[in-house]
Amino acid sequence: MKRMDWVVDFISRKGFRKGWTVFIIAFFLFFVVIPTLYVVTYAFTDWSAIETTVLSKPETMSVIVNAVAASFEIAAIVTVIDFLAGLPVAWILVRKEFRGKEFLDTLIDMPLAVPTAALGFSAAVFWVMNPDPVPFSFSVISSPFFLIILLHIVFSYPYMVRSLAAILEEIDDTYEVAGRTLGASRLTAARTITLPLFRAGLATGVILCFSRSMSETGGTMIALSTMANLGIGEAANFFTGSTLIGEWRSLVENDPTYAPSLAFVSILLIALALILLIILKLVIMKFHLPLRKVWPMQEKMLSRGIFPKMKDGGALLFLALIVLIPSFFIFTYVLFSDPASLDMGALSYALGYSFLVAGVVTVIDIALGIPFALYITKHRDRASSNVLDVLVNVPLIVPTAALGYSLFLFWGSTGLTGGASFVVLTLAHVAFTYPLVVRNVAGAVEEIDPSFEETARTLGAKPIQSFHRVLYPLIKSSILAGAIMAFTRSLGETGATQAVLGSNALTAPVYIVSLVKADELYQAGLACIILIIVSYIFMLVLRYLTKKRKEAI
Amino acid sequence: MPEVELINIAKRFGKVTASADINLKVADGEYVTILGPSGCGKTTLIRMIAGLIEPSEGKVFIAGKDMTNVPIEERDIGYVFQNIALFPHLTALGNVAFGPIVKDMSEEEVKSVPQRYLEMVKLLDRMGMFPDELSGGEQQKVSLARALASGAKLLLLDEPLSALDARVRMDLRYELRRITKDLGLTVIHVTHDQEEAMTVSDRIVLMRNGRIVESNTPEALYLSPQNLFTANFIGETNLLEGVVKEVLPDRSLVELRDGTVVEAKPSKFRRGDAVVLSIRPERVHPANEGLNSVIIKITYMGTYIRITVESDSEDTMLFDVSTSEDRVYSVGDRVNLIWSKRSGILYPRPPEGVEEAIKLE
Ligand SMILES: Nc1ncnc2c1ncn2[C@@H]1O[C@H](COP(=O)(O)OP(=O)(O)OP(=O)(O)O)[C@@H](O)[C@H]1O
Ligand SMILES: [Mg+2]
Repeated sequence: MKRMDWVVDFISRKGFRKGWTVFIIAFFLFFVVIPTLYVVTYAFTDWSAIETTVLSKPETMSVIVNAVAASFEIAAIVTVIDFLAGLPVAWILVRKEFRGKEFLDTLIDMPLAVPTAALGFSAAVFWVMNPDPVPFSFSVISSPFFLIILLHIVFSYPYMVRSLAAILEEIDDTYEVAGRTLGASRLTAARTITLPLFRAGLATGVILCFSRSMSETGGTMIALSTMANLGIGEAANFFTGSTLIGEWRSLVENDPTYAPSLAFVSILLIALALILLIILKLVIMKFHLPLRKVWPMQEKMLSRGIFPKMKDGGALLFLALIVLIPSFFIFTYVLFSDPASLDMGALSYALGYSFLVAGVVTVIDIALGIPFALYITKHRDRASSNVLDVLVNVPLIVPTAALGYSLFLFWGSTGLTGGASFVVLTLAHVAFTYPLVVRNVAGAVEEIDPSFEETARTLGAKPIQSFHRVLYPLIKSSILAGAIMAFTRSLGETGATQAVLGSNALTAPVYIVSLVKADELYQAGLACIILIIVSYIFMLVLRYLTKKRKEAI
Repeated sequence: MPEVELINIAKRFGKVTASADINLKVADGEYVTILGPSGCGKTTLIRMIAGLIEPSEGKVFIAGKDMTNVPIEERDIGYVFQNIALFPHLTALGNVAFGPIVKDMSEEEVKSVPQRYLEMVKLLDRMGMFPDELSGGEQQKVSLARALASGAKLLLLDEPLSALDARVRMDLRYELRRITKDLGLTVIHVTHDQEEAMTVSDRIVLMRNGRIVESNTPEALYLSPQNLFTANFIGETNLLEGVVKEVLPDRSLVELRDGTVVEAKPSKFRRGDAVVLSIRPERVHPANEGLNSVIIKITYMGTYIRITVESDSEDTMLFDVSTSEDRVYSVGDRVNLIWSKRSGILYPRPPEGVEEAIKLE
């Protein structure tokens, strides 16, 4: 007891707290922001190489422009569809009471538990037109463009629903009820009152979905190579910005002349993504829906009878058909293919390696992300903390392949990539998972009335004690959400891993990609299933453990 | 026209019964207040009338029409919420204009109607402000204007004046009654403030514990409450326990615990019945004879002095004397108290005890 007091006293000292704050911010800058943006320095150090090997070569330029354009088109379409299909489901989750609601709630998160590599494979097998289709598959898509849209919907949709539902939860529904007492139909009230109130959630949802689609590499590459393997050759020559980086990244190992093009695409994507997202955010926050445009009669008609049922039914059908079934179709695929033997030794090694990395990454994220989140929310009045708040989004919106390449250049310049590959991989994964913890925790802390903590302080609690006793119990569920996101993201990430370590990385998703590339589809499917099951069990256990603790309070 | 009728309404939230056996008729153009202590189910009751929640049992009729399955927006009501609920993203004017817009009034009316009602609550100069820039009282006034501007003929008000200071509240009370009478609205006004209920309403419906205790005009409830709870809740009263000694045609005689015999209105009780005598403090006067008591507390109230005494009959009583009176009272003095036989009302002594019968829940 005495020793604990001493520790509490020590870490409550002003000097210690100052040092700790500096350390947290320095960690963020040196291990998250700078490595993420390191590739940009290439433009300054070696611009002439870019000029001679990229800008002056029309064929290279046209490949780049097409790929980047495809990325933006896909991301835009995906985001719009996510919003339209996700809004009714978010609404149902928050505003309706029905049996089996928890079941629906968990279903939404399921695609997050599936590594993107597995998702890419699963969705491709389900959708791609195939002379010899797997039983129950849909096998209608012959365009790689549409396939990627369908794929990206699968893993961005949960983010959209979660962000919208989170804000909807915050909005008191008396506003809507008040609107209805004034004579507005359900639809009019929802559109003119609730929608304008949840712009913040819309901004988060749009940014998450858009950047997820822009940045995803591993799943997209697998979907495209599966498509090519299934006989649609066009897929082999279809690139998005991210897959182009992935492709060139694998070529650069043997042919260093690809380095300038690789750097150029990365810089281009980072720059465009940043600009576009800033514009998007401004537009969403500033844009006012004209209230005066009200169509009472039409909206009244649409508010009753069969229309709401059709809307809800349509949204749920979309969830089942477009999101859930393609995610888990891989089970069916494996069931109906000829068995082949899987190298269990290699797979379990890769799985173990992935879980170890993901675990260490999550612990670092939590240990250093929570203090950072507290810092930026507690010092809203300082410009510096607002800048940090913006910077923390950067790794989320930078394409993971570009991010991976940037991390490779950064860590390569330190000379660590050869021997300490575990350390480098861990630090690389910290860079893009850290923001997930920070965003979740900062979001929760901001919602909490500071007077709780202030009250605790007036009662004599030291800052660390008031955090532990007052704030921590209140934000625990957000910490968990952040931890789960970070863990699954690390577990499922392919593009960045490959970009950092090249193809000799030993994580499970990379192993699965290599199986698909080798056309060992049955083995790939089986490996995906094992990965899904293991991570699903892991998440269940985590949920169970934290739930139990919640009840104990 | 919007007369309101509630038939056998009950509402249960799990184990909590928030309303039970509610039967109530509100006439067209009538101003009714629903009065009762906090938590007695007032809000629940008007939420059922508005259609915000469904009754567990019973039916709501508005203008003779069964409202089961009629959605909120088609009941044609104006509702002022207890928590105000102004739309935070709209200005005061935008809030008030919401009703006219969604009701598809003409361009002309959408412009003029909101301004008229903002003017009425004297907030025209604040119309460009957002709710979080307005004081609590101003928000409440805007919310009132918003309900009126929707043009509804039935107005449901849930504590519409609670955030205002005493002075403004008083002004607005009269204003509220005047406006709604001018417009010929039917009003159901929820409050826990008995003074507010007395001053605005044609009729008060007194609730306790989810049930209607008594319903009558303010005067009748004050002057001849049918019920011990009412006598105590509306206005103030002294309750003395005793036994009926004799009932005469012009008065009843009650023997208190110390044997003192006091007078009350004639009643249907019989000799020997256990009763409670209710007598308002302003009807009690000091005199040379009467109930023997000792002063235990004196409170200066402005125009009058409130004196608390402990009588020999072991009842605690209050009475008021004018500040201008010559006699000086001090704690410990003995006084004798009398009252006119017409101002004492007798109630059967409740088997659960007086305390229990007047408890607020
Ligand atoms: N949604 C609900 N779920 C459970 N119980 C409820 C609910 N709404 C109200 N109650 C309960 O019903 C009872 C009546 O509540 P109501 O809000 O109608 O009281 P009230 O008379 O308006 O009180 P106040 O004057 O404090 O506003 C209370 O005991 C309350 O706890
Ligand atoms: Mg209430």
